[in-house]
Amino acid sequence: MLTALNNDLKPFEDLITKFSREELKPHVEVHDRYPFGDLDVDVIEAGFNKIYDLGFLGIMLPEKYTGIGQGISTLCMMLGHVAEVDASYSLIIFTSALSQEIILSAQADSIAERIYPKAKDAKEYLVAFPSFTDPGQSKTLPEASPSGKGYTLTGKLDYLVLGSFSKWAVIPARISSNRGYSFFLVNLNDRGVTKSEPIFSLGLHACPIIDISLNNVSARIIGEEGEGERYFETASKIMHAAAASINAGIIRGSLREAMDYTKEREQGGRPVINWSEVRMILANMAIKAKVAELCVTQTCRAIDENLKDWGMISIATALHVHDLACEVVTDGVQLLGGNGYMKDYGQEKRYRDARQVQALLGLAPLKKLVLIKEIVG
Amino acid sequence: MLKRSKVKSYTKKFPRFENESLSLYYAPRMPKAMIKETEEAVALARKFNDEVARPLSLELDRKTHEDPDYLPVELVKKANEWGFYTMWIPKLFGGKGFNLPSISYFLEEVGSVCVGIANVIGVHYLGMAACMMLSNTRIIKRVMNDVVEGEKTGEPCLISYCITEPTAGTDVEEVDLEAKGRLGCHARKVPGGYILNGSKIFISNGHFSTWNVVYAYTDLKKGADTKVALMVKRGMKGFSLGTHENKMGQRVCPASVLNFEDCFVPDELVAMDPDIIKSYTKKTPRNVNMQHIDYVFSISRAGVGAFGVGVARGAFETAMKYANETEIDGKPMVTYEWVQCRLAEMYANVRLGRLAYTEANLANQHRGAYNILQMKPIYYYLKYLPVSYFKKVIAPLLDKPIATWILSKWYIDWQKPDDQHLTTGLASMAKFSCTDLGVRNCQMALELMGKAGLRHDSGAEKIIRDAKLLQIYEGTNQLNRINLFKSIVAPACPKATFFEE
Ligand SMILES: Cc1cc2nc3c(=O)[nH]c(=O)nc-3n(C[C@H](O)[C@H](O)[C@H](O)COP(=O)(O)OP(=O)(O)OC[C@H]3O[C@@H](n4cnc5c(N)ncnc54)[C@H](O)[C@@H]3O)c2cc1C
Repeated sequence: MLTALNNDLKPFEDLITKFSREELKPHVEVHDRYPFGDLDVDVIEAGFNKIYDLGFLGIMLPEKYTGIGQGISTLCMMLGHVAEVDASYSLIIFTSALSQEIILSAQADSIAERIYPKAKDAKEYLVAFPSFTDPGQSKTLPEASPSGKGYTLTGKLDYLVLGSFSKWAVIPARISSNRGYSFFLVNLNDRGVTKSEPIFSLGLHACPIIDISLNNVSARIIGEEGEGERYFETASKIMHAAAASINAGIIRGSLREAMDYTKEREQGGRPVINWSEVRMILANMAIKAKVAELCVTQTCRAIDENLKDWGMISIATALHVHDLACEVVTDGVQLLGGNGYMKDYGQEKRYRDARQVQALLGLAPLKKLVLIKEIVG
Repeated sequence: MLKRSKVKSYTKKFPRFENESLSLYYAPRMPKAMIKETEEAVALARKFNDEVARPLSLELDRKTHEDPDYLPVELVKKANEWGFYTMWIPKLFGGKGFNLPSISYFLEEVGSVCVGIANVIGVHYLGMAACMMLSNTRIIKRVMNDVVEGEKTGEPCLISYCITEPTAGTDVEEVDLEAKGRLGCHARKVPGGYILNGSKIFISNGHFSTWNVVYAYTDLKKGADTKVALMVKRGMKGFSLGTHENKMGQRVCPASVLNFEDCFVPDELVAMDPDIIKSYTKKTPRNVNMQHIDYVFSISRAGVGAFGVGVARGAFETAMKYANETEIDGKPMVTYEWVQCRLAEMYANVRLGRLAYTEANLANQHRGAYNILQMKPIYYYLKYLPVSYFKKVIAPLLDKPIATWILSKWYIDWQKPDDQHLTTGLASMAKFSCTDLGVRNCQMALELMGKAGLRHDSGAEKIIRDAKLLQIYEGTNQLNRINLFKSIVAPACPKATFFEE
């Protein structure tokens, strides 16, 4: 739908659909077994390097930093297409974009220049970020202390997306003399960084997540001290739309698989799609799919056109689309009966992934409270 | 204000008040000892949770992810050691004879910690129910005897119920669909028995079970009229186990493929076929098949309702623990109204679900399959006479054809159709309501916990994976809604037809 409204997106759409079909689809089941199974780290890294080579890791990053300088519409379109096939890869692209947005909203030129133009591969380009955390909601964040020209960080940070893969991470930490928190750039290869094993989570398995602990790790501040919350707010405002687009893609995938299956599967001497209750469920899924797409498309428009309250629209869209997605994927499993529950089909993975996506950028009920606070003042 | 006769005439009108409020009528009739027995079952479940289920639940789930071929045989042995596979076998057949409704509370309790583990125990009783409701006392005695022996020897003997086929799932749970379905398990009559060919899929505990209650058809095109129920024992020639599925959840309980290739099943293990049916009743085999399915599922769907309440509780308890331990803006989460309201709703879902499966149990107890066992004199007679008495005096009678005849007549001909409708309808209601509430609570727990709930070690993510299955097996929640309508609502909709749209 995004492409229908904006023809400029067509070449990107062609590229991403081809990539998803050829590079992601054949491996979804094996990748989903991570962190177990025979999938070795090299295979995962090869996949990440492919998306890096294609430029998917810098969609909204300005060209001056070797990004491709596109807007939110391109990012959402791409995230959605990838999510139709394997939303784990959407999380990788999302996390890359989110850490970039933090750096950009802090106007931290020197940080951006230090990372992106110098990066030789995905490891160096893809900056890890705790994408499921709203640092303002976290009781415990690492402590930062000034040291020479920079800072050192000490403490624990949980659920760092891509922490086991990336060279760099954007890490929220508190400086004891400040209120609020600040963001820092940390080299994850520093000796003071201890990494956990990959965390076995509900969904999005192919995108590794770890806990880390930091012991006097040198770090560079991103933007200004104590301004973390402002940067996160600016970045997350736009990234809510991106999160919604991932779930809109999962919804499309779920609907498509349910339709294909119910056309083929027969019970009671006819394709199950011909039982009116099955049609009713499909209809409800289709309505939700359309609504989700509309929400994402219109939000992208609002952002592109810089509408006054685009931030609120973006967060409302995310909350709503996530709710829709969790309902759709549950029905999506249901319509495949017992097969829907098995790993040989895509629906059970979507059932898990959609809920994982719902938790991006912090606790859903708190996002609602933030939204109403903005509305009522 | 109203004469008694008037009261009766009003309350008997559709919807009959008694049918609509079973607990009002039947709770007072409950033998007191049943409550104590139920308490004991719950206490045992709690002890088992502390000592076995809780310490093992996440570890076993993780193991099955590391190695999808892994089968937790030791868990089955543990449940066997604890006596769970004979606890609900009537004393008449050598078991411990706990009252059957008490299994719901037990399963809810275990299910609140791990519904996969609850299934490894509970689904054995689906097999038992299927075997019992086929009413062949000689076969029941033989199979139950093996289960009891298995407990003594430490080699668990479990029973599976095997009806689902690759191309027939919903179809085998409703005769009108079965009549049009694409069935694959064929039984050919030969002198002395049947030759069985075909395969069954998704059979819970298939890789653990010794006995299998298998449905097959002598004419695949006329399945509903030619169904044969065969008892197939592990090791019989021509019977082999295929793979077990790689499932999203409930991974400790394997869902197995069973293959039959020219498997000869002797007459002594044929529990039901159209000729046997004809020897007991004038009803058509198709009607008797539906009656049998209804009996079995009336029992097991109440149990799946209890699983649903178990996961609803597991999700609630996990979320509550998180809310107790977490702060938002420097205040404990539980001090916020929005958190309190969500936890209250989750708690309410648990209680509402329990009411639903209790009604289904009451229907089974007073209007359904348990009604003989529920009569007070029989209940106390079975409870207080020693097992040795049953062994010496009753057991020899069970081999006599007259015992099978009486049991078959009791279930096939001597029950009221209205009672059966009520019982199957309420079981379906419990099944879909409790399991929907279960999934709903899981979703609420995840929303409350955010990223903390996504981690395997939190337990919350496993519950939502486990819970989804409950909406699918024992008849999808769609089929169960239709069955509730068909059995209880339809009298008010005379124009309604079923599976004919
Ligand atoms: C883990 C697991 C364990 C199981 N354990 C057992 C077991 O121990 N023994 C056993 O025999 N079976 C078992 N089953 C099978 C289970 O009972 C079936 O999966 C279930 O009945 C649904 O059948 P199906 O999978 O073939 O789905 P289908 O019947 O193919 O249904 C597909 C979809 O179509 C819908 N549908 C089909 N027909 C209609 C209709 N007429 N009207 C409206 N909607 C319709 C269904 O609701 C569903 O949404 C198990 C299944 C699983 C997944």
